[in-house]
Amino acid sequence: MTAEIGQAAIYLSVLSCLWAIGFLSFGLWIRNARAIQSGRNAVVATFILISIATGALIYGFVTDDFSMKYVVEVSSAAQPLLYKIAALWGAMSGSLLFWLWLLTVGGVIVVWQNYQRNKQTQDTLADYSLIPIAIVQLFFTILVTGLIEGIYNPLARFPGGQVAADGQGMNPLLQTPLMAIHPPTLYIGWISLTIPFAFAVGALASGRIGSGWILRSRRWMLFSWIILTIGITLGGNWAYQELGWGGYWAWDPVENASFMPWLLGTAYLHSVMIQEKRNMLKLWNILLITLAFQFTLLGTFITRSGIISSVHAFGGSGIGGYFLSFIFASTAGVIGLIIYRWNRLKSANRLESLLSRESAFLLNNWLLVGLTLIILWGTLWPIISEAINGEKSAVPEAFFNKVVIIPGILLLFLTGAGPIISWKKITPNNFRRMFLFPLIIGLIGGALTWGFLALIGYTFPLYSVLCSFAAVFVLAAIFAEFYRGAKLRAKRQETSFVNGLNLLIQRNKRRYGGYIIHIGIVILYIGIMGSKGYVLVKTESMTLGQSMEVGKYKLTMIDTFDTEQANYRRMGVVFDVAKNGKRIGTMEPARHAYYAKPDEQPTYESAIRNFGLNDLYIGLGDIPPNIKSGGVVSVQGFYNPLISVVWIGVAVMVLGGLVAIAEKSERSGDS
Amino acid sequence: MKKQSRLKIVAASAILLGGMAFLVVAMTRSTSMRHFTPALLVAAGAEAHDQRVQVDGLIAKGSSQWDAVDFKLTFAVRDRETEATVNVIYEDRLKPDNFKDGGSVFVEGKYDATQNLVVATKLMTKCASKYEGAESAVPTDETSYTSE
Repeated sequence: MTAEIGQAAIYLSVLSCLWAIGFLSFGLWIRNARAIQSGRNAVVATFILISIATGALIYGFVTDDFSMKYVVEVSSAAQPLLYKIAALWGAMSGSLLFWLWLLTVGGVIVVWQNYQRNKQTQDTLADYSLIPIAIVQLFFTILVTGLIEGIYNPLARFPGGQVAADGQGMNPLLQTPLMAIHPPTLYIGWISLTIPFAFAVGALASGRIGSGWILRSRRWMLFSWIILTIGITLGGNWAYQELGWGGYWAWDPVENASFMPWLLGTAYLHSVMIQEKRNMLKLWNILLITLAFQFTLLGTFITRSGIISSVHAFGGSGIGGYFLSFIFASTAGVIGLIIYRWNRLKSANRLESLLSRESAFLLNNWLLVGLTLIILWGTLWPIISEAINGEKSAVPEAFFNKVVIIPGILLLFLTGAGPIISWKKITPNNFRRMFLFPLIIGLIGGALTWGFLALIGYTFPLYSVLCSFAAVFVLAAIFAEFYRGAKLRAKRQETSFVNGLNLLIQRNKRRYGGYIIHIGIVILYIGIMGSKGYVLVKTESMTLGQSMEVGKYKLTMIDTFDTEQANYRRMGVVFDVAKNGKRIGTMEPARHAYYAKPDEQPTYESAIRNFGLNDLYIGLGDIPPNIKSGGVVSVQGFYNPLISVVWIGVAVMVLGGLVAIAEKSERSGDS
Repeated sequence: MKKQSRLKIVAASAILLGGMAFLVVAMTRSTSMRHFTPALLVAAGAEAHDQRVQVDGLIAKGSSQWDAVDFKLTFAVRDRETEATVNVIYEDRLKPDNFKDGGSVFVEGKYDATQNLVVATKLMTKCASKYEGAESAVPTDETSYTSE
């Protein structure tokens, strides 16, 4: 019965979306407060209806209702409760429903914030913004009704009252807590991008394209950005821990699909500052946020349409066409509004000099958007190449690694230069006061890196030297900013330096939160440089008692084990690990054979051990039955330098994001 | 003065964009590899000899062999529609996750037409088909879910 109620709720929410779109448009057109209120209520109603549908599906999982198609597809009776619930986003139709539900939560939050605001001021921006939100909701609602070919209603039952004995369950590889939270995190990041986009559309529609919408969309964007940062990293971390290839990023189309909106969001967070301070780039900002939103849909298109073969994507589900149509239609809508408001989109100011903060921001935007387009090009190359000469081709990981490195290092340099270069035009005084010290320190940093790398056998590590120079330059520039600001505060308030520093951050969370993010970026770059550039891989076929060397580490296989766990058999070997001849402990790489999946190969349970900032990572091949009596097992050892630095960098970025988002006032900071 | 700086800005943007475009085109040219199904690769034969290729197909049932002593995986990748197969050799790396008979596989490597063999540098199996959120699978065979 619950499934039928859920289905009914989905059909009804088609009506509530239409209601919201109709009444909000009509109410805003004729300025009728009651019609507008009715439209807002419809947005809340959609949330309630979709919550009912989602609840009904979760109920189906929890009660093991195997008459439901979707429950059978992704759950099973033996699945732990956490993964029964996580099964909600386990396959397509459920994940679309979950996606829709998140969007209805976003809609309600906008209604709520607007209600709070309107106690003081009357402002229709949010009401305008609810229209695009409701349109996107309508699109997703129609997708999950089951009336669309290729996707069934997630609450549908099997025809003719059939009931499956048990569900198929989800892959054991994915039954880890990391994988339970990785997809919803990314979803929240993607979905929440709809809201700043909706504010942009609302601003266009209402005609108020000043900085009001910018201020309100910016916090939403910052929220999306933080969540996307976390979500992308969780995916990388999961791959690193579970997949046994020792890496965390491989430029797979799906990874790219999550990374491109992040890059565009980053660009947007920077370019809005220019609009705020200098009243420039209005049109650009609207285009940028539109692009960021469209890229979340494009990501879905790329991964679901079957057009691009990816590790993650599965062949033609037929829904790609709907996404593509929606992308075109909504982009056309935005372009229409832009043309309609053309006169109000002109910049009040112009760029005055190539060497100014405005230019630095602009360059940052060119680079971020450029990188996005490069990644898009590489991702879509199979389609592009086929269109050009009829031969389908693809580019390997190496393409991306090579192409992003120079723009990437340039971006890193800007991370430091942008915030310290003066507005309008650089002056000799500004250069001496702000740049000289960080540049010198940066050069020293680059030289030291060169020396160190030369010492360990890398003769001309150009990119590493450039990267280190930029990294140290940025750190020096940011710390100098903190130092100057804190000292000034301390002097003014006659307090200690630490208190001054605290005051400094408290008073302008956005600016200094941003600086903390920049510090995180630098740390991340250093981590990527080490772990991508200087990884050591060693493979060896070994028998019990033998040793292999990975860098300074010596691994001796001293024992094997084979134990029965609740739902899998755990087999593996014990390595004695010694560094420079000194014993430092043991590591136990293993393989897990799940009883429920007898024909799948045992999953990799690589042993990872952290030594300072570096990891030793051991993966294990198939374990022969005669391992105790001289059987050979394949061992792959990685020495991943600075990999911990990658995770630390992201953590610092997230911390900085949290500081920046804590700034409550929608008034601009004094950066 | 104003005009001049505007010109500079336009020139700088052009150089930047031109540089990026050049980089992309150059890298695409040097790294791009043709994508084949096993049937098409066999048909291409000598034409694809010694080229880097990407092959997308299924792991032929019973073909895969893991040689632990030489750290070497050999198998055949079969076409999804025809009987055509291409042999693959993959050395000094562990098998990827989800590597199983009949499963989907993506191979990158150099093709040796004389032996109908791809010396793989990269192997990818399709990600686990259930529960992966954004990248989730579409059921390939709906009938298997109904009870008998």
